[in-house]
Amino acid sequence: MKNIQWFYFFLLILMGTACQDVIDLETEAGETQLVIDAWVTDESKAQTIKLSLTQPYFDKGGIVPAKGATVIVFSEDSIPYPFVDLKNDGNYVWKPKIAGDKLLQVGKQYALYVKYGAEEYFSISKVNRVPPIDSLNYFKQKFPVAPTDLRQEGYQVDFYAKDPVGKGDCYWVRAYRNDTLFDKPSQIQAVYDGSFSPGGSADGLLFILPIRASASPDLYNANDKVKVELYSIPQEAFFFLQLVRSESTNGGIFATVPTNIPTNIQPLDQKNKKQVLGFFAVSAVSSIETVVDGSKAIPKPSGR
Amino acid sequence: MYKLLLALLVVFVSIGHAAAQDKLTISGYVKDAKNGEALLGATVFVPTLGEGVTTNDYGFYSITLPRGTYDISFSYVSYLEEKRQVKLENANVKLDLELKESALVLETVTISSERVDANVRSIEMSVNKVDMRTIQKMPALLGEVDVIRSIQFLPGVTTVGEGATGFNVRGGNVDQNLVLLDEAPVFNSSHLFGFFSVFNPDAVKDVKLIKGGIPAEYGGRVSSILDVRMKEGNSKKFAASGGIGTIFSRLALETPIIKDKGSFIVAARRSYIDVLAKPFLSGDLKDSRFYFYDLTAKANYQIDDKNTVFLSGYFGRDVFGADFGFDWGNTTASARWNHIFSDKLFLNTTAFFSNYDYRLQSDLREPNPQDAFRWNSNIKNYSVKPDFTYYLNSRNKISFGGQMIYYTFQPGKAEAISGGETRIIGQDSKYAIEYAAYLGNEQKLGKNFTLQYGIRYSLYDYIGPGKAYTYGPQTGERREPISTQTYKKGERITRYGNWEPRFSANIGLGDASSIKVSYNRMAQYLHLLSNTAAASPLDVWTPTSNNIKPQLSDQIALGLFKNFKDNLFETSVEVYYKSLQNQVDYIPNSDLLLNPELEGDLLFGDGRAYGAEFFIKKTKGKLNGWLSYTLSRTERQIKGLNNNDWFPSRFDKTHVLNFVGIYDLNQRVSFSLNFTYGTGTPATFPTSKFIWQGYALPHNFYAQRNGYRIPDYHRVDLAAIVKQKKKLFGTGEGEWVFSIYNLYNRRNAFSVYVRQSEDNPSQTEAVRYSVFGSIIPAVTYNFKF
Repeated sequence: MKNIQWFYFFLLILMGTACQDVIDLETEAGETQLVIDAWVTDESKAQTIKLSLTQPYFDKGGIVPAKGATVIVFSEDSIPYPFVDLKNDGNYVWKPKIAGDKLLQVGKQYALYVKYGAEEYFSISKVNRVPPIDSLNYFKQKFPVAPTDLRQEGYQVDFYAKDPVGKGDCYWVRAYRNDTLFDKPSQIQAVYDGSFSPGGSADGLLFILPIRASASPDLYNANDKVKVELYSIPQEAFFFLQLVRSESTNGGIFATVPTNIPTNIQPLDQKNKKQVLGFFAVSAVSSIETVVDGSKAIPKPSGR
Repeated sequence: MYKLLLALLVVFVSIGHAAAQDKLTISGYVKDAKNGEALLGATVFVPTLGEGVTTNDYGFYSITLPRGTYDISFSYVSYLEEKRQVKLENANVKLDLELKESALVLETVTISSERVDANVRSIEMSVNKVDMRTIQKMPALLGEVDVIRSIQFLPGVTTVGEGATGFNVRGGNVDQNLVLLDEAPVFNSSHLFGFFSVFNPDAVKDVKLIKGGIPAEYGGRVSSILDVRMKEGNSKKFAASGGIGTIFSRLALETPIIKDKGSFIVAARRSYIDVLAKPFLSGDLKDSRFYFYDLTAKANYQIDDKNTVFLSGYFGRDVFGADFGFDWGNTTASARWNHIFSDKLFLNTTAFFSNYDYRLQSDLREPNPQDAFRWNSNIKNYSVKPDFTYYLNSRNKISFGGQMIYYTFQPGKAEAISGGETRIIGQDSKYAIEYAAYLGNEQKLGKNFTLQYGIRYSLYDYIGPGKAYTYGPQTGERREPISTQTYKKGERITRYGNWEPRFSANIGLGDASSIKVSYNRMAQYLHLLSNTAAASPLDVWTPTSNNIKPQLSDQIALGLFKNFKDNLFETSVEVYYKSLQNQVDYIPNSDLLLNPELEGDLLFGDGRAYGAEFFIKKTKGKLNGWLSYTLSRTERQIKGLNNNDWFPSRFDKTHVLNFVGIYDLNQRVSFSLNFTYGTGTPATFPTSKFIWQGYALPHNFYAQRNGYRIPDYHRVDLAAIVKQKKKLFGTGEGEWVFSIYNLYNRRNAFSVYVRQSEDNPSQTEAVRYSVFGSIIPAVTYNFKF
């Protein structure tokens, strides 16, 4: 779909008239809600769960941490992994006791428990399998028109991975250039089997070309470090990420109606009407990294 | 059902025979003296009796009167009135007539027929006709004369925003307008994502928008009918016209086949920015394609006094891309046969084919067997449609007929190749048949009372081969199929039938005013699935199925029509209320393309629209034009959205004010001005933000939809048309059109949306998106000879 928008903008640029400008807008504020940002991986490193409070949409203040909460992740074997707010800044952290120690195991389910004030919340998520990233390759690219805020010339990187047979594997592709995550909302790449959506019928396929290219939200220079991570994610996280992306980049003539991004975290007491926002997911991670070496670039493939 | 209609028909016809013994009929065609084009809606009037008729869509009229001698007047707006004395003594009279266009439209003394108050007298209400000559004088975006952009200046017509495809009539969605080009439906009326309509102004003769009081002969969409009729082509002599504009270059040729017997017209347009840009493009862009074109053609031949045939066709396409290509377009073809059974019974039979399709392909330039994506989608339909008009007597005009439409849908099928392995994805083809039969009568009761009543029955079969899914009962979220049934070819999956009553009345109040009232029910079996702000060329038409019910609308309208100063000013006030059933909406994050289970992503509900439309039009004089004001509301109530409460539609505009003014300085120079004002369209904004993984995300605590409005829209456009003094090639005419769109350079918002700040992702901002952020001047040169 993005391609079509691109053509559209291309035409408007030719006509030279479309424009966007930031304006002042006043909206009604809602009640303050607890936000739980709990994305835990199977990497042997410190894992952080962030608790904060919602703010009026146009509030200029910084993030408001939610302090004094109890945050525990339980494995399906009922082993508790407490997360502690070490710096009293709403970042609740679990650290491996010894190197190589992991919180998660592929195939197991985990439960999140949060107590904030008198309210208790929980969510359950499963660690799905993740295929290895087989390789990276890159070629020299020069776009005919300079993209806005992006490089016109450099190396375009593709990553190769194959979706394992069995429908419904979902992933999150995360690309880093010189250890900086490409973190624009439009750069969030969620994958369903080897393609963009459940209807893609890409089960068991090599990730399709546009997904391979998501290693390169922008071009790389020679000697830049490329790192690509592939997170396995539950299906509901796939839809969550899709919405995060579409709701943060939802403008223009083909925008969809803004909608709330649902959460998978529930009050423990069904009668509790105080809903939280955010998401709990557990991921297995595979990754690959390299340094761009011009002499190893492949010839530019046709049509790229 | 057919039996009932047939019985009614027999009753009507037998009344006619009983009453018509001592009466005789005058019938014939009214045409333009200059080019032989049939004049639609010309008035044939008998002053001594105070009775008259208008010509039908093919210029045919028939009027039955007691024996005697009559002075009959033939008139048509901005044509010179003709009078004929007719002796009705022994036999019916056949009288074909040609009217001459008045030399100067601005001549104040052109015609003074008693019947120029047709807007007051006729049974039609909620109908707007726009003269092509007016459309051609109005200021146009980039100087490109455009039928659909022009009708947006009429009361009751809105759009979701500048540059959006289609139009919205009295609170109806874009897909609820039956857009007909010579009776064949056009499924996507836009070029370039909505900026220009597909109708070539050089080939259009007549444009009529029916918003209410819809007669029984029309059906298939619930909100309006846009009936576009193409020129037949000059049957007197060869003629050429065309022009070079900012976007299109145009050429139309028309010529007699046999003088006064048959003619044809071919009109073509193509955008040429790619041709101009070519020398400046290099590298990969050199092969890029971006253009759109259309070809419109029509031929007619009068076989004899009783038989005339017409063939018309349209083919248009938008093409974009280089390696990755995207193209889409409509094709329509219609064949029509006019047959006069007797002086009283007129038949038009139309057979048409209409197609809309699009194609996306990632490996256009060089096929890539390893990694490619090739996607196509189409809707095709084939139809036969006989329409009879029986001029029973001067007080009753009966229409009856039917239609059968066979649809095939290819909602989207794609071939996805990754690493050399191919997968076919998307939806299976779908099939449906729609039948309709109707019977109606336009009846005059006394001098001041006219009725039009009718009934239409539509029957719809959704047929195999195909799969029918049954979904779970939950609403507001994606529903998965709980069972699937497979049907064989031709096997009926589901059937719906609807009675569609139609009624209009005109009560005359003295000489130049009347009250009109109408009711109509309409049924629609097709749905355009579109979850974006503006409809896009990718949107898919989907049939009514076991899960999607037919859309229904009921509309009542009441109007007061009054003319002032000897019909110099036409005014009307209309109020309407429309209720809509089985309206389609979408779950959040709905997946409508290439999704076999897309029905599980649909939500259903009701709609309602009501409003008042005020219209004043100055028909003659150096300064002419109109002013319209609409006060309206349109809302939807969808289970699973907005806490199940009513919410305003995306295109709801409380106030809309439009002004179109044309000033003819002299025969050579004319000026025109448009002004439009509309309340900002509704929008949904968040109440709160929350930070997740560094992203500042919006959240609406109250889960409200369309609770806010974007800034009001207003705009002024200007145009000047200057005809050249020198004749082209001796007899031809050339003219320059200078136009300025968005004169005072206002950045009208198409939408306002929120996003996280580019510089600081934890901060948020609101953004006004304007499709046209500046003043747009343009120059066009037109010629004809």
